[in-house]
Amino acid sequence: MLLKLNHIYKWVKSGGRRVFLLNDLNLTIEKGEFISLMGPSGSGKSTLFNVIAMLDTFDEGDYFFENETIHDLNSKQKTKLFNENIGFIFQAYHLLDDLTVYENIETPLLYKKIKSSERKALVADMLDKFNIVGKKDLFPHQLSGGQQQLVGIARALIIKPKLILADEPTGNLNSTQSDEIMQLFKDLNTEGITIIQATHSESNAAYGSRLIKLLDGSVNNK
Amino acid sequence: MIRNYFKIAWRNIWKNKMFSAINIVSLAIGLSASFVIGLMIYHDFSFDNFHPNKDRIYRLVTDSDSPEGKYSFSGVNVPLKKTIKEGMPGIETATSFFTFTPYQLNVNGNEFKDPEGLILSDHQYFEIFDYNWLVGDRNVLKQANTVVLSLKKAKSYFPNLSLGEMMGKTITYDDSTQVNVSGIVADFEENSDLIFNEFVSLPTAVQTDMRETVTSEYWTSSNSNSQMFALLNEKSKMTDVLSRLDELAKKHENPEYVKDGYRTGYSLQPLEDLHFSDFGIFDYGNIAANKSVLIYLSAIALFLLALGCINFINLNTAQATQRAKEIGIRKTLGSSKLQLIYQFLGETFLLTFISGMVSVFLGYVFFKVFSDFLPPTFDYGLILEPDVIISLFLLLILVSLFSGIYPALILSRFKPVSVLKSRIFFNTDQSKFRKVLTFFQFGIAQIFIIATLLVGKQINFMMNKNMGFKSKEVAHFNFPSEDRSIDKLYLMKNELEKNPRIKAISLGSAPPASYKIYGSKLSFAQENGEVNVYFNQLFGDTNYLEFYDIPLLAGRQPLNDTIREYVINESLLAELGFKNPEDAINKQIKINDKPYPIVGVMRNFNQYSLKLEIKPMAFVPDYYIRNYSSFTTLSFVINPNNNLKETISQVEEQWDAIYPNSEFNVNFLDDTLASFYKNEKNTSKLLQWAAGLSILISILGLLGLVVYTTERKTKEIGIRKILGASILGLNIQLCKEFIKPILFAVVVAIPIAWYGLHQWLEDFAYKTEFNWWIFVMSAFLMILIALLVMCFKTIQAALRNPAQSLRTE
Repeated sequence: MLLKLNHIYKWVKSGGRRVFLLNDLNLTIEKGEFISLMGPSGSGKSTLFNVIAMLDTFDEGDYFFENETIHDLNSKQKTKLFNENIGFIFQAYHLLDDLTVYENIETPLLYKKIKSSERKALVADMLDKFNIVGKKDLFPHQLSGGQQQLVGIARALIIKPKLILADEPTGNLNSTQSDEIMQLFKDLNTEGITIIQATHSESNAAYGSRLIKLLDGSVNNK
Repeated sequence: MIRNYFKIAWRNIWKNKMFSAINIVSLAIGLSASFVIGLMIYHDFSFDNFHPNKDRIYRLVTDSDSPEGKYSFSGVNVPLKKTIKEGMPGIETATSFFTFTPYQLNVNGNEFKDPEGLILSDHQYFEIFDYNWLVGDRNVLKQANTVVLSLKKAKSYFPNLSLGEMMGKTITYDDSTQVNVSGIVADFEENSDLIFNEFVSLPTAVQTDMRETVTSEYWTSSNSNSQMFALLNEKSKMTDVLSRLDELAKKHENPEYVKDGYRTGYSLQPLEDLHFSDFGIFDYGNIAANKSVLIYLSAIALFLLALGCINFINLNTAQATQRAKEIGIRKTLGSSKLQLIYQFLGETFLLTFISGMVSVFLGYVFFKVFSDFLPPTFDYGLILEPDVIISLFLLLILVSLFSGIYPALILSRFKPVSVLKSRIFFNTDQSKFRKVLTFFQFGIAQIFIIATLLVGKQINFMMNKNMGFKSKEVAHFNFPSEDRSIDKLYLMKNELEKNPRIKAISLGSAPPASYKIYGSKLSFAQENGEVNVYFNQLFGDTNYLEFYDIPLLAGRQPLNDTIREYVINESLLAELGFKNPEDAINKQIKINDKPYPIVGVMRNFNQYSLKLEIKPMAFVPDYYIRNYSSFTTLSFVINPNNNLKETISQVEEQWDAIYPNSEFNVNFLDDTLASFYKNEKNTSKLLQWAAGLSILISILGLLGLVVYTTERKTKEIGIRKILGASILGLNIQLCKEFIKPILFAVVVAIPIAWYGLHQWLEDFAYKTEFNWWIFVMSAFLMILIALLVMCFKTIQAALRNPAQSLRTE
């Protein structure tokens, strides 16, 4: 088991009433799975992602990540756990505009205080792996969407995460680029990385090993 | 990591060129002002702190207490010095010396005019102050006709001789006193107010024109050229010595002076305060620094620096949303809050550092602009000293922390979730905080503007006020103090009278208003007893009153130079208890128990700057003419039809014929009067700069905020326009947000400025009025500038085609 969510509730108050974002959500994810998360807008996909990523809190329930009980950790410990285990990939890529491709990929390593020589080796490997060595000195706005997302993935992978959270990673891409990225995910998955992707596209969802449908803040098992 | 931070910081600075420029300029102004003023303070505190025993060295000074007020005086009387040198418990060693200003001296046939740095000194001077003796020792000063030179002075007198060869050479003062070079000491390398470089032995003094001063037996007469420094015993308390000095003062006080309210006391001035003596350091040489001026200047520098920091804080928190995305991403990539804070502080430091570099040069500009204001010994090259560089670096770090920490905390606090979903809501607290800071900036700027206007008005008032005598077209020069021949004086006058270009001439002790004071004391029998009045005398020839358009209210002027008759002014008339001028005529006043008649009453006029009230004064003829003439000044008016320059050069030719050895110095009376207000003019110049710079910084900050806000509101403006808003309406809407804190600043600044300036004006006997228009005008001026800057951007924004601005969103 990689992570387990038990009876998770999250709500916001609106006009004195509770509006549930996550409603008695139960989910277990094993190591090596490739989960496709689907559901209409407002079904709680993003909230669930943020909860799994420990970027957001929940109001009730238990969350276990490997052997840690997340709901008992303070924010500093959560940040540490997140930084060591989870890579995040965004629909809008969210590359740092002022940094080159090389520097974007290098940034997570800087925060982990990894030595310069080791950093260089790791980044070079990554550039090599994704075939973007020639683009390493370009800035994000000089790249196509697909290339930017490649950089985003490379950046997520550089810390060797156990889990990758991809929030509609191909939402801004055309179908050719989209297929390339999905194939890449599949390859990464075979290398042993657990992936959770949120998607609206049935064809993308088909790349996954398991499909989870979300409705009104809980897993729809029907 | 650090390198990475700086790289990103640099790219950020480069990307937001306008904001960076605003930040750098505003910080640089504050920093350069701080640099110059900081250096000045460093310089002023660097004097005489290298002497061994410096904590035990004191100068004796005289404190006077009189009905006109208390003041201190840098010299002490000779009998006191004698008493102390005979031995006083608590004092280990005391040195007595006299500043000595011969008109000329002669070395090897070379003549040196108005030599500087001479004192008549005992050998104890060198016991208290440790000099490095290159030749000889201090005992040579025990004999008469010896002199000790500093190395630099010795080399200037004997450029080609070795130190040994200089020994025994003769120096002649004023063609009469001869001394032999008997010792040479090294000059102090550190900053010192002991600028003496030629130490004539004290026993020589009786052979010079200082004889009377040096042998004076009067406890009541002190002269600022008579100096004494004392080295206190290690264990004795300063207060014990002070009480002994008090006893001496009591014992020797003159009961008659005490009766009139005049008392004299002595106190000890620590060596470290020497440079800050508000009564002057010595009769010549270094100009004393003024601690309160340093405090005012520091306040101005701090304000300017604070204004710069505020711009930084305001612009960076306002820009926060733009950086929010970056922060969110960095957090999801594993950055901790602390790491983000470091990053932002690093950026701030880089920016501050660039400002610092700019400031080093800008500081030099300020240094040049304010060179009149700065001590003449102060050199901007001081900025290269290691101590100073370290302090500057610390200042930069401090400024970075001060301006960077708040934005860094705000920025690093963003939650990645909300940032990445672009769900950041503008924190109203921050925009409130920005408004408070803007309010503070404009408040300070407003105070400076009001102060500038009012100080300017006061100066204008003083320069244009009728002083009560004629000053236009009047020129004057002083006769040489070294040649007081009465014959030459009248020869000069008669020769000038022959010149058709000169309309009128008068001789006198000084122009009606001057720095010169000839004090005297009279007694007068009134119905209810005798009154003593201290008054000033103005000596003048029979032309004088007419020449200066000073009318007589009653009586006549003195008949001629030899009969001692008095013409009193209205202030003295009142002191004597008369209501009508006529009543005083032919009354007798007593001076030194001899009666003299009052023959006339003249109208009041100002005798010095308008800071002072009109004092009791009497106009008198040159009644000492049998011994010497009290006339030291010749005033003349040039016929208006003639060439001014040519006439002056004719006067100079005449002077050169009569006084070939003396320098000719002519002044126009209006310039002399203006020179009374040199300090006020300096203050005014400083305030103008402070006001200008603080407005500049505040306006730059405002511009930054307006640019930022209008850009953020592009969409809102577009929608409002489609809904039918007018350009004017949009402008009002956009400006409203900024104008409120400015209006509030104006309202708060006015009473503060009023209070401060009211205090400042207290120093002046004649004050300009506090007109309401000063406040209205300054407020109007500031709001106008602010509106212009805002409209520049808001109109541009309001004019933009809504179709475009909405599409780009």
